[in-house]
Order: sequence, then structure tokens, then C-alpha cells
Amino acid sequence: MTDQTEKLDLNRRDFLKGGSMAGMMAMMASGATAFKPADVSAQSSKPPIGPPVKFGVIGCGYHGRDIVGTLAVLPNAPVVAICDHYGAFLRRTGRSAPEATKYENYKDLLADENVEAVVVATPSHQHKDIVIDALKAGKHVYCEAPIASSIEDARAIALAAKNTPKQYFQAGLQYRSDPQRHFLVDYVRTGAWGHSIFARAQWHKKTSWKRAAPSNEREREINWRLNNKTSCGIAGEIGIHLLDANNWFLSGRPSAVSGFGSNLLWKDGRDVPDTAQVTLEYPDGVQSYVDITLCNSFDSEYEMYHGTDSALMVRGSQAWMFKEADAPMLGWEVYAKKDTFHKEVGIYLVANATKLTTVTGSGEEAAKASPFTDTPLWYALEAFVHNAYVHQSGVEDFIASFGDTDDEILGEYLAELEGSKKPAAGYQLGYEANVIAVKAHEATMNNKRIELDDSLFDLG
Amino acid sequence: MIHKLKGLIWNGGLAAMLLTASVSAETVKYRGMFKGSSMKIDGTSTVHDWTVESKLISGNMELEGGFPSDLSLEAVPALSVTPKVNVKVAARSMKSGKPTMDQVMLTAMNADDHPWITYKLTEMTPSKGERKIGDALKYDTKGELTVSGVKKEISMPVNISPTDKGLKVAGKVIIKMSDHGIKAPAPKIALGLITTGDEVSLSFEWFTQKR
Repeated sequence: MTDQTEKLDLNRRDFLKGGSMAGMMAMMASGATAFKPADVSAQSSKPPIGPPVKFGVIGCGYHGRDIVGTLAVLPNAPVVAICDHYGAFLRRTGRSAPEATKYENYKDLLADENVEAVVVATPSHQHKDIVIDALKAGKHVYCEAPIASSIEDARAIALAAKNTPKQYFQAGLQYRSDPQRHFLVDYVRTGAWGHSIFARAQWHKKTSWKRAAPSNEREREINWRLNNKTSCGIAGEIGIHLLDANNWFLSGRPSAVSGFGSNLLWKDGRDVPDTAQVTLEYPDGVQSYVDITLCNSFDSEYEMYHGTDSALMVRGSQAWMFKEADAPMLGWEVYAKKDTFHKEVGIYLVANATKLTTVTGSGEEAAKASPFTDTPLWYALEAFVHNAYVHQSGVEDFIASFGDTDDEILGEYLAELEGSKKPAAGYQLGYEANVIAVKAHEATMNNKRIELDDSLFDLG
Repeated sequence: MIHKLKGLIWNGGLAAMLLTASVSAETVKYRGMFKGSSMKIDGTSTVHDWTVESKLISGNMELEGGFPSDLSLEAVPALSVTPKVNVKVAARSMKSGKPTMDQVMLTAMNADDHPWITYKLTEMTPSKGERKIGDALKYDTKGELTVSGVKKEISMPVNISPTDKGLKVAGKVIIKMSDHGIKAPAPKIALGLITTGDEVSLSFEWFTQKR
């Protein structure tokens, strides 16, 4: 799992060079209709999001600690229990959640009736049993993405989530809850950028991806990402977020994936690539390209979406549009703030539904003008808290009204509640992204092209 | 012997009368169904109109055995017994599709302390209004509507029509939030202070099935 918090900080620091205009004008001028001004503007002031949902966090490694830290700043998301079988991790995470009960065995945490929802942040290959047991124990589940390191495990998790309608399940595809990306997807859907040509994304860092440990045994355990038997490599563990974002923006599911992987720098016994390129093929010849490396940090990470009339660049919570010379005038862009990237002029796009003032000053000030400056993890967990509450209250209200007799009709009612939930990836999206990620990793391990048959995505 | 026979006849007649009485007093019970049911509250504000809706209308109806369900009737007959009708809707099941607005509404309704909206029928008479043969049967009703813990008598015209499984009851009434002690929400959001109108329209379609 990539560290999205770090990513946003890096992007703000390194890439923001100038101010821009508030984006609502862009949305209004483009004729977008899917945005909800009153609702989104209220999000910016972080209103109450429902009664508390009491959390247990299973897995207190680097990302688990990030999750506990993020939950700590969310309203109504008390962490009441944490679990890790490695004592040092448990103790360190406990400092961020001093009131939480500490467990070394996840089954003990699941037996804790005080816990209403769990975040599963263990290594990907350990997710399956924990998620299935958590759902059986009546807990709502947020499972980090990839939800599993194999398609078989991902399918088992998705089916368990599908078959326990009383529990809410969310896959940790954080971008799916990110308001800035929702704003951009809405913009893309208006057709104001022409039609899709290709998408491109990258994640560049110079880092070994290797963790230090006090013993050989612990080192093997903690470095599960470097072992092909327990990991779906950089294409899967990191790439899943970029690949899924590309799918989302391109409104499609790829029919094939090609991959190339090499170990170019970190020759420390790992058997997964430290550098990989992935190409996804979509209908009508549209493709997306993702490259990931642990060997060079230049230009960090971002996504590009190319249409016939313009290209969109997304860096963290910021975005720019680059218009073609022959693209139709939209009108508002004349007044919009612009940033220069080498010889290109980027028109600043920011999801801000209500601030119709022109942003002046430096790029840092422009960033502050956006109401959506929290990390994708924050938004994903905020959505989870809200959605778990909506789901739970829906189940309770239905049973209090009609009894606990018919899961099928209960499922129909819960489907009605989808519109009251915040955007997030459920089990189906989580599973589909996982299939693509695992196959992308397989392709990079073997430098080959793999057809993605529709049946692969069918949960049955 | 004759005396005994008379006694038997007398006793038999009494039994028959009692039996007849029990048949006429026999009631048919219905319970609320999830499928198809919906209750909406439509309101106004200084920014835009708003709607919240619940799909959870539960409760029971108890009607006299001869309660009409024939839409070909020219005139809706009078009822000898006022039906027993009790309805409840979970306040937090009222949804606008906007999480923030839902939260504002639930806070205004004090839903934590008063989680149910309830209705109890107290009076029901055939409507004197115009009705074409084949239209739903029309009644004028009075009942007690409790919102946010405050009970208020309301008058409401309702339409009743038979369905495959039971009866469909539909109605609409204008109520004031202030009648139920609810201060019209005025959330402060980025656009400024929004004021909502005190009067709202409550409408519903309630599908029931025989128990």
C-alpha cells in the first residue's frame, strides 16, 4: 500500500507553483450537472457525519499506524481496539490510540463487542481469513487495497461481503472517495475534453521498499512485499490505485494487460521487479499506461488523462487542464488562473463548488483555497464511517419495521440507501481492481500480454 | 318436553345471534409492506425546494370484515366501525440523498430522542368529494400524527384501493414543522444562511398485505 499522505505532501511542496481560479466556475460553465453544490460546500466545513462508529484496527505496521492516526483526526471514529501479533508494532500504534484495547490475536479483537467496524491493514496475503471472520462476527469491514494478493482470495473476500448484506464492506481504493477526482470525472463526463485518447500514470520513488527488522525471521515476515509468493509486486500493491483510477476515468474495464518488469537497482534477493510498466487495453483502441519504479524519483507521481480537446493532469489534490489550440472555447478558461509547466500552460481546476472568487497569490495559497485538502485516506475513511453508519442504521430500522425475516428484501432496501452514502469502492469494484492488479503483476513478472476475459470479473 | 324444545330453540337462536354478531364484528388485519411503500416530505427553502423520503412505512390496519374494496361502487358506504390504523416510520430512514442535509433534518427533529414518526387513525368517513366509478375509494380522516415527540391532530383525505395482496392507502397533507415543536432548520453553509419554510407537504403511498 502506497502512503497517500506522504504523496500529497510531496505534491503540494514540489509542484504547486501558482494560483488559480475556483473551479465551480469551470463546472458551471462546462454544463456539468452531477455536482451538488450545497452538499459539497458543506463537506468543506466538516459537519458531523453521524454517531460514532467504534473501530478496531487489525495490522499495526506502517500503514496501520497511518490509519490509526487518520482515524484520530476524524470526528466520530474512535479507535477502541488495535491488533498486531508483533508486540513492538502494537505498542507503537498504541501511543496514537491510548484508550484502545490491545490484542495480539485478531480473533480476540473480533470477539470484542465494543468494536463495530474493523480496518484490515495486515499484509495483503493475510486479508482473506481476517475479512471473512470479521464479517461473520458482524463487523463492518474496511479492507486495504489490494484486498488480496491472489484472485482466489479476492474472490473469496468479495463473495463473503456480498453474502453478508447486514455488514458494510469497503475496499481501500482511496481515490474512489476523493472529491477532487469525483469533480474531475464529472468534468470528463461532460465531454468538455473531447473524447478519450489515452490515460497515463506514474509512481516514481527512490526507495528500496525494504524494512529493517531485528531478526532474519522478522525481516522475511515484514518484507512480504518483496516475495512473489506473498505479494503482487509494485504493479499490484502500488499500481492498483493508478490502474483503478484509469479505469474509472476511461469508463471501462480493460480487455487485456501487458507488463514489463525488471530488477534494476535493488538486487537484495527479492524476486519481484523494482521497475515495471503496465499497459491496459480498452475498447476502440484506447489504452492506459502506468509506470512504477523504486529506482528514480523524478517527477514523483501523477495521472494524465488525454482527450481530443484537452489533457488533464492530476497531482494529489490539484489538477490542471491543458487545452489544444483547436479546442472549442469554453468561456470561463479566459479568466481562470494558469500555471506554466515548461512550455505548457495549465488551467487550474479545483473542486470548489461555492467559492467563486479568483484565487490570487502563490500556488500554496491556491491549494488552501480548495476545500479538499485532506488526504485520499482521510476521505476514504470518512466515507467508511458515514457509510457504515448509514448501512447499520438502515439494517436496524428495517428490522425494527418489518422483522429480521427476509435478507433479500433487506438487500433491496439497503440498495435504496446507496444514494445516501458517500462515494466509495465496494466489494465489486475492489474485486475488479484486484483482478487487474494481480494480472498486471503476472504480466510484469513474465513480460507478456494477458487477455482479461469477462468471466474473470464475474463474481457469480 | 315442549318446554325443553322451546328452551333449545331459544338457546339455539341466541347462539345464532351471537354467531352473527361475531361474524359482523370479525375484522381483517393488514400489515405494512416494504415493497412499493414510500413517504415523502417536500419543503421549501431560500435556496431550493427539498424532499426527503422514506421507504420504510410499517404498521397495522384492522378493518371491519365488510370493508369495501370494490372500486365499481358508485358511492362509498359508511363505515360502522372506525378502522384501527397505527403507522410508524423511522425518522432516520427519511433520506434526501445528501448526507449533510439528512444530518440537519435529524438534528432538527431531535431524532435521537424521538426516533419514530407515528400516526394513529381516530376517525374515518366516506368523502363527500367527487369520485368517478373505478377510482380509489375516498375517505376523510382524522388522526394523531406524532413527530419529534409532539402529537398533533391532523385531517387528511386518503384514497384506498385493493391490490393483489391487500390494500394501497395514499394520502397527502400540509403540516407545519412548528406544530411539532420543530424549529425550521437554518443551516449555515458556505453560501450563507439558508432558511427553510415552516410548511411542508407530507405524502405517502402505503402498501399493505393481509396478515
